[in-house]
Amino acid sequence: MPQPRPTSCCSRTPASTVADTLVSAPARRSARGGGVRRRTGTAYLFLAPFLVLFCVFVLYPAISGLWISLHIWNPLLPNQPFVGLKNYVDLFVPGSLTSGDFWQSMGNTGIFTIASVPFLLVIPLVVAAMLNQKIRGGAVYRGIFFAPYVLGVAVVGVIWKYLLDPQLGVVNHVLGALGLPSDIPWTVDVPWAWISLVGVTVWWTMGFNTVILLAGLKGISNDLYEAASLDGAGTMRKFFSVTLPGLKPVLAFVTTVTILASANMFGQSYLLTKGGPGHATRTAIMYIADEGLSQNQMGAASAMSYVLFLVLAIISIVNFRLQRDRSQS
Amino acid sequence: MFKKRQVGRTIAAAVALSVGLALAGCSSTGASSGGDVKGGDYSGPKVTVTFWNGWTGGAAPVLVPKLVAKFNAEHKNIVVKDVPMEWGDISAKMPLAIKAGKGPDVAVAHGDDIATYAAQGLLLKDDGILKSLGYSADDFPKGLLADGNYKDAQYGIPWSVTPLGLYVNKDVLKQAGLDPETIPTTKDDYLATLAKLKTAGVQGEWVDGYVFTGTFELESLIWQFGGDLFNDDVTKATFNSDAGVQALTYMTDLIKEGYSPAKVAQDGDFNALVGGKTAFNWNGVWQTTNDALAKDDWTAAAVPQIGSEKAVWSSSTHWIFPSNKGQSKNETAAAATFVKWMNDNSAGWAATGELPAQNSVREDPELLTDYPKLKPFLDELPYAHYETVAPGITSATATITTALNEAILGKKTPKAALDDAAAKADQLLQQNASQYGG
Amino acid sequence: MTATIPRATTTASVPQQAQPRRKARRTPVATIVLYVVLTLLALAIVVPLVWIVLTSFKTDFDAINTPLNPIPHPFTLNAYQTLASGQQPIFLWFLNSLAAGVLQTVLILITASAGAYALARLEFAGKKIVFGVIVATLLVPPVIFLIPNYLTVQSLGWLDSIWAITIPGSAGAFGIFFLRQFFVGLPPEIEEAARMDGAGDFRIFWQIVLPLSRPALATLAVLSFLNNWNDFLWPVYVLLSPEHQTLQPGLAVLQGAYSTHFGIVMAGALIASVPVLILFTIAQRQIVDSVASSGVKG
Repeated sequence: MPQPRPTSCCSRTPASTVADTLVSAPARRSARGGGVRRRTGTAYLFLAPFLVLFCVFVLYPAISGLWISLHIWNPLLPNQPFVGLKNYVDLFVPGSLTSGDFWQSMGNTGIFTIASVPFLLVIPLVVAAMLNQKIRGGAVYRGIFFAPYVLGVAVVGVIWKYLLDPQLGVVNHVLGALGLPSDIPWTVDVPWAWISLVGVTVWWTMGFNTVILLAGLKGISNDLYEAASLDGAGTMRKFFSVTLPGLKPVLAFVTTVTILASANMFGQSYLLTKGGPGHATRTAIMYIADEGLSQNQMGAASAMSYVLFLVLAIISIVNFRLQRDRSQS
Repeated sequence: MFKKRQVGRTIAAAVALSVGLALAGCSSTGASSGGDVKGGDYSGPKVTVTFWNGWTGGAAPVLVPKLVAKFNAEHKNIVVKDVPMEWGDISAKMPLAIKAGKGPDVAVAHGDDIATYAAQGLLLKDDGILKSLGYSADDFPKGLLADGNYKDAQYGIPWSVTPLGLYVNKDVLKQAGLDPETIPTTKDDYLATLAKLKTAGVQGEWVDGYVFTGTFELESLIWQFGGDLFNDDVTKATFNSDAGVQALTYMTDLIKEGYSPAKVAQDGDFNALVGGKTAFNWNGVWQTTNDALAKDDWTAAAVPQIGSEKAVWSSSTHWIFPSNKGQSKNETAAAATFVKWMNDNSAGWAATGELPAQNSVREDPELLTDYPKLKPFLDELPYAHYETVAPGITSATATITTALNEAILGKKTPKAALDDAAAKADQLLQQNASQYGG
Repeated sequence: MTATIPRATTTASVPQQAQPRRKARRTPVATIVLYVVLTLLALAIVVPLVWIVLTSFKTDFDAINTPLNPIPHPFTLNAYQTLASGQQPIFLWFLNSLAAGVLQTVLILITASAGAYALARLEFAGKKIVFGVIVATLLVPPVIFLIPNYLTVQSLGWLDSIWAITIPGSAGAFGIFFLRQFFVGLPPEIEEAARMDGAGDFRIFWQIVLPLSRPALATLAVLSFLNNWNDFLWPVYVLLSPEHQTLQPGLAVLQGAYSTHFGIVMAGALIASVPVLILFTIAQRQIVDSVASSGVKG
């Protein structure tokens, strides 16, 4: 591939490897102040395939979604009348067609996220800690725990819908055999439906988090544990003063991924409870998808997705501020 | 140089001509106009006709492919592709698919969807094929043909009707010491039987809070108590009237009295019947061919009259001809041939557990000889209520299921649940009116 | 399109394999407890799966009436026969899922690696803006794109096709961000040497950077494939006909079609699981290691 010819006034300097900022590389030859060779043409050539996809399927929709949200947009009708902020206002006016359902679905998303994330962090952490011990067959256990994730949400959902069926499922029959109440409406009523949804999610994705946390644990140097032992620290102490701090970046990563996944939950509700009873387990994503693609009210649904975005953004900012304050204190 | 130009121009003209011909050959793609469907046998070039239907349960998944195969064998220039999917999926996916040109060439839809699809400009008018089949309103149960009519054009051709009935597990009655041949028909008899079953330790009728079949039972009861779901011009919900409250309260009382468990899962009621845990189940005629019942000693009867009138819920299916973007006239014509053939060969359709809509086919005594278990359903038809017809109506009727679900699970009183649902339904009806023009 | 949109925190160094130098201080009791707990957890995962296998060989009547007894009596292949002859082509769904997964993975690997190279190693006009916008979209919930992309896909005529379930999903920012972070962490000496030898950007990218990035590329490949394999919401709405379904929405359709015929639904779940479990068992080590390193590398 032909080298782009440098313009005569700039001399060639090796590109730096430091991240974002433009760096003026140590000039070994005389360079103009801060002159780094710009290879704009080449760069955009490399970026072109990605940028084409990105512009069409990420940038454009982000903007057109906003545009759609300002209309009553039913794609099956000839007109899409402009209504300004009506779709957004309707979401905040009690008694409108959408506000009740929308905030209920947001609340449901919140319930699920708050209920599931702790389990999706603590259980994998404990399991990873166990797998980090010297045991035989660790790889086998690891594989078994990870396997459900590979199956996919539909297989998992279909399996557990049967197992948790209040009348026909094994779970209730086993409970009955143990003398416990055997008519628990696992997929029919709240709060048991929430327990089912959280439980199934843990069963499905626990392995994924476990594997990542395990790798993080393996990255903590044994010397640190040695030092702590010499200082007389017991298991618990070592966990809090060596393990957790050492795990911090990985834990932050896993936490973020898990929270995002929970906030975007769709499949488990769709398969296990169909959003029931009533709409008590219908998540925001379910409602938006249904409203936009089944009920054909795309304007309203787009507005809802932006409000969801706003809410998540506010939560992230608050969380970020709290983290920063905590680390500063 | 000059010659080259002339050649170029000739080629360009030829291209333009063929493109023009091709464009002219395509049927209209306009959203609201649609075309017409003529009946008669298709004699054009070989085409593939995609056929969407929701016949995924009972005997239909076996019968339909056989019928399609027979048709394909008899018609060398038509290949019908049978595409079954859940009814709910069809109504969710088909509209946008048609808009994108990926919808079917012919489909079967329920009565309450037709006006919606027609208002959305998704269907072709089929007055033509109706005429070629020689049908008129009298050939079908009262009012059924009109259900497929929207703004004075016919969009649906009735195919089947599917009323609710009372399924009885005779073994359970026997074990409870009751006469298995005596099926209650009045409210008092029915409740008395349930009470006797209860003393024998059986919960006689399980009620559930889902569309299949709780909503169907609820709607039947609303009509039985003299009420209706919507007012005549479908601008207001009326299912929260006294009749509605009475109907829903009757169902929640079944739980209160202990005749039904409290939180029945989807299909839990039917599974309980199959498993011998309950005696009665209000379910659709389509279950008559469900082989899960094979091991049970069961029978079907008309639903008991709990209210002041005889009434029962029924759905209906109709043939519709989608007007896909770029819909080819050939494919639609071939589809019309398929529909005509199916109608002519519909005697065996009762094997799927649906009742043929065509009166002459249904009232043929041969039908009962072959399918005796259908008799009670046939007897119900004179007082069966079919779906309400208005564009976008399904979103409003969905609120009835929400009310049912909430009341059955004890989250709201029947009156509160129905009132909330009616308020929601009214808003939806308003939205429909403004979007579809009523 | 789905999301695992992880936010990279630090480019942590490669984990060392710690050598246990201290004596095993674990008591026998602790050891037993450890194994017991791990085994119970493993059973919690294996037992339901075994149950499903057995249920798929039961008749409907059996499944409804004797749920506690796992052994089918009679043992029947009814469910499988129905699936084989019926209108739900499960094996085809498996192939569709496989094809879609591979296609999207390849697409992501190509576009993300090329773009990441530019972001990591090249200086160009607008670099900060481009990178900034890409990073910003990492935090946008995917539901924002749902409806507009549906309309785009529809107007491109891609509804009910493999393009709809692969191309939009390849446009996400995670891949390019992930690889960019990795490239930035590569020592620049080899590239600089090659450049001084006169190698052009493409050659450096192709012959030096990519081979050095194999672990990161493998990780991205595994994550992308699993992401596509697990995709549910989007395919449910854009795939229409039975022969174009992928496994996840297809199974949902199957469940709807055969809701009370548990044997059939479980058989379907089994057919959907076996091939992927076999693949997983073979490639387990690589897959799990790849996923593990995604968190550690950030």
